[in-house]
Amino acid sequence: MPTYKAPLEDIDFVLNDLLQADNLTKLPGFEDATRDLVSSILEEAAKLCENELQPLNRPGHEEGCHYENGVVRTPKGFKEAYQAYVDGGWQGLSMDPKYGGQGLPHAITFVLEELLISANMAFAMYPGLTQGAWNAIHTHANDQLKDTYLPKMTTGEWSGTMCLTEPHCGTDLGLIKTKAVPNDDGSYSITGTKIFISAGEHDLTSNIIHLVLAKLPDAPSGVKGISLFLVPKFLPTEDNQPGQRNGVMCGSIEHKMGIMANATCVMNFDDAKGWLVGEPHKGMRAMFTMMNAARLGVGMQGLGIATVAYQNALTYTKERLQGRSLTGAKEPEKAADPLIVHPDVRKNLMTIKAFTEGARALGYWVGIQLDQADHNPDLKARAEADEFVALLTPVVKAYFTDMGYECATMAQQMYGGHGYIREWGMEQFVRDARIAMIYEGANGIQALDLVGRKLGQDMGRLLRRFFHPLAGELESAMEDTDLLEFAGPLAKAFGKLQQATAIVAQRGMKNPDEAGAASTDYLRIFGLVALGWMWLRMVKVANAKLAEGGNGKSGFYEAKIKTARFFVQRLLPEVDFRFKALMSGAKTVMDLEADLF
Amino acid sequence: MEIKSAAVIGAGVMGSGIAAHIANAGIPVFLLDIVPQAVKDSGGDRSVVAKGAVEKLLKGEPAAFMHRDAARLVTPGNTEDDLEKLKDVDWIIEAVIENKDIKHALYRRLDAVRKPGSVVSSNTSTIPLEILLEGASEQFAADFMITHFFNPPRYMRLLEIVAGPKTRKDAVDTIRKVCDVRLGKGVVHCKDTPGFIANRIGTYWFQAAVNAAEDLGLTVEETDLVTGKPMGLPKTGTFGLLDLVGIDLGPHIAKSLLSTLPEQDDYRRVYRENPLQAKMIADGYTGRKGKGGFYRQTKTPDGKRIRETIDLKTGAYRPTVKAELASAKERSLKGLVTHSDKGGQYAWKVLSQALAYAASLVPEIADTILDVDAAMRLGYNWKQGPFEMIDALGTAWFAEKLTEAGLPVPALVTLAAGRPFYKVEDGRLHYLTTQGEYAVVERGEGVLLLSDIKRASKPVAKTASAALWDIGDGVLCLEFTGKMNALDDQVMALYRKAIEIIGDGTSGPYKALVIHNEGDNFSVGANLGLALFALNIALWPQIEQATAEGQQTYKALKYAPFPVVGAPSGMALGGGCEILLHCDAVQAHAESYIGLVEVGVGLVPGWGGCKEMLYRHTYNKKRPGGPMPPIAKAFEYISTAKVAKSAFEAKEMLILRPTDGITMNRDRLLADAKAKALELAKDYKAPEPLEIRLPGPGARTALEMAVEGFHGQGKATDHDVVVSGELAWVLSGGDTDITTVLTEDDLLDLEREAFMRLVRTPGTIDRIDHMLSTGKPLRN
Repeated sequence: MPTYKAPLEDIDFVLNDLLQADNLTKLPGFEDATRDLVSSILEEAAKLCENELQPLNRPGHEEGCHYENGVVRTPKGFKEAYQAYVDGGWQGLSMDPKYGGQGLPHAITFVLEELLISANMAFAMYPGLTQGAWNAIHTHANDQLKDTYLPKMTTGEWSGTMCLTEPHCGTDLGLIKTKAVPNDDGSYSITGTKIFISAGEHDLTSNIIHLVLAKLPDAPSGVKGISLFLVPKFLPTEDNQPGQRNGVMCGSIEHKMGIMANATCVMNFDDAKGWLVGEPHKGMRAMFTMMNAARLGVGMQGLGIATVAYQNALTYTKERLQGRSLTGAKEPEKAADPLIVHPDVRKNLMTIKAFTEGARALGYWVGIQLDQADHNPDLKARAEADEFVALLTPVVKAYFTDMGYECATMAQQMYGGHGYIREWGMEQFVRDARIAMIYEGANGIQALDLVGRKLGQDMGRLLRRFFHPLAGELESAMEDTDLLEFAGPLAKAFGKLQQATAIVAQRGMKNPDEAGAASTDYLRIFGLVALGWMWLRMVKVANAKLAEGGNGKSGFYEAKIKTARFFVQRLLPEVDFRFKALMSGAKTVMDLEADLF
Repeated sequence: MEIKSAAVIGAGVMGSGIAAHIANAGIPVFLLDIVPQAVKDSGGDRSVVAKGAVEKLLKGEPAAFMHRDAARLVTPGNTEDDLEKLKDVDWIIEAVIENKDIKHALYRRLDAVRKPGSVVSSNTSTIPLEILLEGASEQFAADFMITHFFNPPRYMRLLEIVAGPKTRKDAVDTIRKVCDVRLGKGVVHCKDTPGFIANRIGTYWFQAAVNAAEDLGLTVEETDLVTGKPMGLPKTGTFGLLDLVGIDLGPHIAKSLLSTLPEQDDYRRVYRENPLQAKMIADGYTGRKGKGGFYRQTKTPDGKRIRETIDLKTGAYRPTVKAELASAKERSLKGLVTHSDKGGQYAWKVLSQALAYAASLVPEIADTILDVDAAMRLGYNWKQGPFEMIDALGTAWFAEKLTEAGLPVPALVTLAAGRPFYKVEDGRLHYLTTQGEYAVVERGEGVLLLSDIKRASKPVAKTASAALWDIGDGVLCLEFTGKMNALDDQVMALYRKAIEIIGDGTSGPYKALVIHNEGDNFSVGANLGLALFALNIALWPQIEQATAEGQQTYKALKYAPFPVVGAPSGMALGGGCEILLHCDAVQAHAESYIGLVEVGVGLVPGWGGCKEMLYRHTYNKKRPGGPMPPIAKAFEYISTAKVAKSAFEAKEMLILRPTDGITMNRDRLLADAKAKALELAKDYKAPEPLEIRLPGPGARTALEMAVEGFHGQGKATDHDVVVSGELAWVLSGGDTDITTVLTEDDLLDLEREAFMRLVRTPGTIDRIDHMLSTGKPLRN
């Protein structure tokens, strides 16, 4: 059975030493989010994840969800675990105090998300979807809807979903067929079928609030004719209790590769009563409120899975005796050396370590910027933070989840044959990690979002939020002999990113296929440079800490520096390869006629 | 005969504007109006009306005078005391109230004083020449014609001339020539029919356009969206244009047309009383000159400025909304008029009527389709004339659709029988005559159009943003071809290519270069979008390289062994101004608006603009002594982004040299520039590099203190101080002292260093960003 221990020491390093998350207390509304409070919250979260949720992960995977006559049962223990989760007030952690939330920074939920995923991804998705739906309602719905639904969603008493995909369309939502017909009382009757609805039906909450994309009778064609509706499973009574059953039923649940314990449902809406969220035909805008937050959350899933897979692989490679070190026995008293002596095994471990620690730094930083975007009283600073988050969202989503899967298979590989045996749990990580690359906009779509939408927006204004601070830091780091070995390779990689950016913009303007063909390589280069930047910053902090004597954690800081060195020398060079591939252009990709494949 | 002096009688908006423009051409002009009854009764300046009009001209916007010195050529007076002064005047223009009796009486008085052979013309827009000449002497009739200007006379290029059967041909030729060459007008000969050409078709179009908006239920914004870019009628749109010209003008012209047009004229069919417009006029909502029109600017109770639009159904104002119509995105005229949405329906409804009406009027109102197309382009700012638009739809298709709609097909369209009204043959543009044959479109003497050359030849060389054309006699013309004629590395590359092709200017086929294009604006400067993208991704070395390349390219043109002549029209800003500063000579269209506006986007001129302005003001013979005055002048112009409002003002600012030429008529600009280039090419020697010594830090401090002063008064913003500081550093010579001789490259280094420091400041990046996203400068 796999185990999990929340990486609180590293989290503390990232939040406090690296990102000075304390500064968030200067923003109005976050005065209470002090370092002490945050660390005690995270300690509690760690306990919940380690003791309640993680033990359910493998049993849940084995048992899966049960469907019978429109009713879905979650695996054994999930109900109790969910109760513990809501009783602990975790659902409302960063939600608006006006609706009963605790109003803490998003940055903390980014950490929580990582811990929950590491412990039990299938479970974590239930509250995660509630958060997404909550955001959309909070931003776009009228006060009446907000007052009715948000308090119960904040406590976790009611849960939420996002109903977008239909049998014939997912990415291209302009094609949806679900209809919404206005009723005399201001409500709408929703009819249609939605598929792949995570948490669409389950036994964890007394009501489920669906956010459904549908078309009004007079809707223009395409994505400009989509509206968003709120459709509860049970219509609330006068005193806001689940009342009459609404015309929404779960038709079946999917049999899938992973996240077995999360119900992925076919939802049938048959004259279901719903209410418009936001303006008619502006549903895509409201949906993107859900999607953007959700995409960052999914990015953190890549980090979460990679972290737990790493922890278990590390234990295994330290314990499992197999073969001798190539340079002579390291533990001659034993029958064989542990796996960790072998260079290729170490390379796998170092790769995952370098990725997860870099990704943690980047992910939390984006979380902090999200708080700046929401709470900074200076509108300019707010807009800049918002632009930074918008730019990094596709990078975090796609790069983190691609790497999450790669890391999970690397960890599985270190187990040899046991990695393929279910009871060791490594195959579950591989299975669970896979979906994160697909949902909330497949990673290819993220790459298109980056080159097609984010790159060119306002002649590259979004890019400025990343390129300028990095260029500035590199300039000073290049003058610092202690940093030069890290700053040098990063500066080169950054130069490639600049060049790739200019080329993609230039070629893409003339021929969009060029941008499309470059997109995934470009996103990977972006991700690598972003992580390189984080490593440069972490080295700076580690150097400073060591110069102060290390505060009893010298090993931790030295490990940071050695991991950084591994990153810039062994992972960052991927930029060169990706750059070369990207520069070769679209021709070889597009050349072969479809019927010659 | 030559026109050496002129007079305008009637100092209203039109009369005074015409007088100002005649003065712009350098011709002395009397401006006379009546002595008001109040002055007669109780004394005072008897020429108060004309004098007041000149005062008003000097203050008005857009400026009627191209340079305030031109105002000195206008002599105000009154028609009671000063008529005698007209005895030596060559051309008298009558622009009094549209009343034939008043005009007749004036003509009698003029005829008594004017010298034999002088020309009298009327600026009437509604009274036929035949009626104006009732009771006139034979001699008066021989010397008389109509010269119909459009408002405002300086800016509207159309001039309609109507000659009577008795008008002397040489008088017509003289006036045509002076209007064309000296006043820069596009002269169109009209027949003596109501409304002549432009107002006849324009009034019909307005009526059809307003009717269709009503009938199809389009909002004001929707109408203007479709009318503007997609239909290619004025950018302002139908209602926007009505606001601009004044809603109250319409009923006057309508009334006049209804009283004079033939019985069967189609205008009578489309004419409708318009209660909404009548009410707007009655309430003072006559357009921009009144309290507002179809649009108005107003303030909300909390003081926010908002734009409002009138609802055509209710007549009430509501906030302006941005119209959205799929048809407005159509690229072709045919795509637009066949689009099924109401915008497409509207476009067809209006054009099917207006184009057919225009086509039905040749030869009734004009001899050729050329005159009609020119009149609508120059007088109503249509992008294309009616016959050009019919060609865009196809004459056969147009005829077929008219028939389908049950509308009569104009005879000329039938005559075309599926052939286009215009065609290019042997590289020359031809038009269809009323005989149904094609004739070459002849340009007058001294007219050379790049578009004609482009029709007849292929470029000698081209890049993505510029093309090089052989304009004959060994002269090449470099044309900017990028969006908005923006300058980028591709333009620079073609400059270098041109230098290579022309070589030493004697041993090859080419000996001179002209830089010219026929865009609305010569160039508004460097491609900021590209620059901003490079800035956003922190590509500093590439930006520096592009700056250095521009500097060296401009310098290479300056010292090339052949003459380079700039021929701008419209705006020449930033990098577009800097290239002119590096030319050996400039032949500028009078309506050239030139200036170094880089500070608006937080920069200093980086392609040699600072350097050349320093040279110009240092080597200006008339300047005061000492090292400071030239620096202060260059600093004043650049730090305030001052733009010359005409070529004359550019001379005053020394952006143009005293020897540079000014051409009043755009169509003559290229020929004049080419002549200048050929003149220079005789025994051409490249200029000698100039030496300059600058005072250094002391001068910089003085300029900075001045800026600090403005900052303290709130006249300069925080970032203005930063930008001005860098400009002061460049213009004072950096860390030099007055004993050190600075080379041209030293100055370019200073420019570039300051430029590179500025592009890295957030204030500058915000300015560029803001300029690109809003089109307006950011005051940060």
